[in-house]
Amino acid sequence: MRKFLLLAFRNVFRNRRRTVMTLLMVGSGVAGLLLVGGFFAFMFMGLRESTIRNGLGHIQIFTAAHFERDEVHVLDTGIGDWRQVANLARPLPHVLGVAPRIEFYGMMSNGVKSSVFMGNAVDPDEERTMGFSPNLTTGHDLDEHASGDAQALVGDGVARSMNVKVGDGLTLLAVTADGALNGIDVEVQGIVHTGFKDLDDRYLRITLPEAQRLLQSQHVTNLVIGLDATENTDRVAAALAPRLRGLGQPMVLKKWIDLAAYYKQVRTLFSGIFVFLGVIVFVMVLMASVNTLLITLFERTREIGAMLAMGTPRLWIVALFVTEAVIIGALAAAAGIAAGNFLGALLNASGLHLPPPPGTSVPMHFRVLHVPTLMVGSSALVIVSLALASIAPAIRASRLQIAEALSHV
Amino acid sequence: MDCLIRMEAVSREFPLDHSHVRALDHASLCVSAGEFLAIAGPSGSGKSTLLNLMGCLDKPTSGRILLEGQDTSALRPARLSALRRQKIGFVFQTFNLIPVFTAAENVEYPLLVQGVGAKERRARSAAALKSVGLSSRAGQRPDLLSGGERQRVAVARAIVHRPALVLADEPTANLDTHNATQLIDLMHDLNRELGLTFIFSTHDQRLLEHTSRIVRLCDGQVVSDSAASERSLGVLHA
Repeated sequence: MRKFLLLAFRNVFRNRRRTVMTLLMVGSGVAGLLLVGGFFAFMFMGLRESTIRNGLGHIQIFTAAHFERDEVHVLDTGIGDWRQVANLARPLPHVLGVAPRIEFYGMMSNGVKSSVFMGNAVDPDEERTMGFSPNLTTGHDLDEHASGDAQALVGDGVARSMNVKVGDGLTLLAVTADGALNGIDVEVQGIVHTGFKDLDDRYLRITLPEAQRLLQSQHVTNLVIGLDATENTDRVAAALAPRLRGLGQPMVLKKWIDLAAYYKQVRTLFSGIFVFLGVIVFVMVLMASVNTLLITLFERTREIGAMLAMGTPRLWIVALFVTEAVIIGALAAAAGIAAGNFLGALLNASGLHLPPPPGTSVPMHFRVLHVPTLMVGSSALVIVSLALASIAPAIRASRLQIAEALSHV
Repeated sequence: MDCLIRMEAVSREFPLDHSHVRALDHASLCVSAGEFLAIAGPSGSGKSTLLNLMGCLDKPTSGRILLEGQDTSALRPARLSALRRQKIGFVFQTFNLIPVFTAAENVEYPLLVQGVGAKERRARSAAALKSVGLSSRAGQRPDLLSGGERQRVAVARAIVHRPALVLADEPTANLDTHNATQLIDLMHDLNRELGLTFIFSTHDQRLLEHTSRIVRLCDGQVVSDSAASERSLGVLHA
C-alpha cells in the first residue's frame, strides 16, 4: 500500500511543468472560491449584525394575536404586562437586555410641511445596554430622564424633505388605542441615518412613555432581546420558550432570522451566485483534468502495458490513476487555500471599499473572512472533481490491449 | 517429453483494412522446463506475436497454448493476469522500467503485485540485483543507468519471483554488441544456475551462438527447430 501510494505520488511529479500548471489552474479555482465565498460570508455577517443592531435584536417576543393585527390600532394586540414577560428573559445567560418597543404610524407636521411617519418607541437606556444605538448624523440620542419637551429622532430623509434641524419642534398625530386621534409635540434631538433610504424618508423615534401618551395605552408591541453573541440565539430561545408558556396572554417567540426577510433574500441570492460559481469551477477542473489525464495516459501507454503484462490487476491501474488525481486535488486544494487566505489578507489590509449596495447609502468595506467550512468544501469540490475526471482515463488505461500498448510509440 | 509450454497449431490473424494478415501460421512448439531457447527470424516473421501468445498477452485466432498443461486460450482475463503474475517473467526490448521507481523498487514490483511483504520484497530484490551484478546501482532511477544496466534490472525484475518461464522479446535490440553478448550470457547463467526457462527472440545471428536451441520463423511459420533436428538426427543415428 505504501509503495503503491509512493508510486502514485512520484507519478504526480513526473512531469513537473504539467503538474504545476494543473496545480495553478485548480488552485486558482479554490482560491477564487475562497475569496468570493469569504467576501460573501463577510457580507452576510455584516448584514446580519447590522440588521440585529439596527433594532431587530436577536429574539423578539410578541403576543400570538400580533400577527393578525390591524395596523391602525397597533396596540390592541400588544403585550399588556410586558415587565413580567421581560423579567422572565432577563436572568437567562447571554441576555444583555430586554427592551420594550412600540411600532406605530401617524402624521407629523412642523407647521409648514406634513409627512407620514413610521414610528418606533424605545427605552433608550435598555437599547444602549444591548448596544443598539441609532446611527446619528447630528444631535444626540434620546434621553428619557431629560427635562423639557418630549424628544424625537428623525431619519435624514425626513429632515431633508421637511427641512427640519436639531432643536426644531414637530407635532405628531396618531390614532389612539380607542380609535381617537391624539397629538403630542416633540423636539428634534437628532438626525438618524439607518442606511436604508426608504426607511430614512419615514423614520421617527421617540421614547416609550411619549408613545404611550400619544397612543393612550400602556401596552407595547413587542419585547426585543439583545444577546452577547448572535451564535447564542438558539440556546437562549430554547431556554426562554418554556418560560413563556402559561402567561395570561399567549406569547410567540421569534428569532432574528425569522424576522429578517431582507437578510434572507440577500443570502438566498448570493448563495445561488456562489453555487453557480462552484459549478463553473467544477466543470473547468473536470474538463481540464480529463484532458491532462488523457495526455498522461498517452505518454504512459507502454509503461501501463508492461505493468499489465506483469500481472498488475486492472483495478490497480484504475486506483493508481484515481489516487494520482486525488493527490493533485489535495495539493491544489492546499495551494488554493494558502493563496486564497494570503490574497484575502492582502485585500483586507488594503482597506478597499465598494459602492453602496442597492437600497443603502453607505459604501461597503471590502473584507474577506477566512471560513473553515468553505475551505473544507472547496477542497472537497476539487478533489471530487479530479477524482471524477480521472475515472474515464483510468478505465481506459486499465482496458488497454497489452500487446498493442507494449508496441505503442 | 513433458512440455512446460506447448503450442498446438497456433495461428494469429490481425485485421488490416478489409482483410486479415496472418502473423503466425499453424505454429506448433514444445518447450521443456529449464530450456534456453531462441526464437530467430527476420523482422515481421512473427517472433513478437509468438512470444505475446506464449506470455498470455494475446489470444490465438486458432489453436491451443498450454502452460503447465493448462489451456490458456480458455482462461478469462483476470485468470490470465494471475497466471502471468505467478508464472511468467518478461524482459522487454525497450526495458519498460517504471521511471519513478529506483532499480530496487522496479525489481520489487512483481512481488508487490503478488502481495509479498515489504521485508521479503526488499531481500529478494537485493538478491535478484546481486545475481545480475547491480547491487551497487540499487538506489538509482532508470534514467541514471546505462542501456545495459537497465536491461539487467529488467532481467532481475523478470526473475525475482522465480517464474516458471521468462520471456524476452528482442532484449538486445537496443544494446551494443558487447552489452548484448553480456546480457545473453547473463540470462544463460541464470538459466543454468536457477533452472529457469528462458525464451528470447532475436534477429542477431551472433547471439544465437550462445543458445542451445533455436526455433526459426519465417512468414509466421516455424521453418526449423534445432532440437527437433537433433532429435531427428538422434533417431537416424539410432
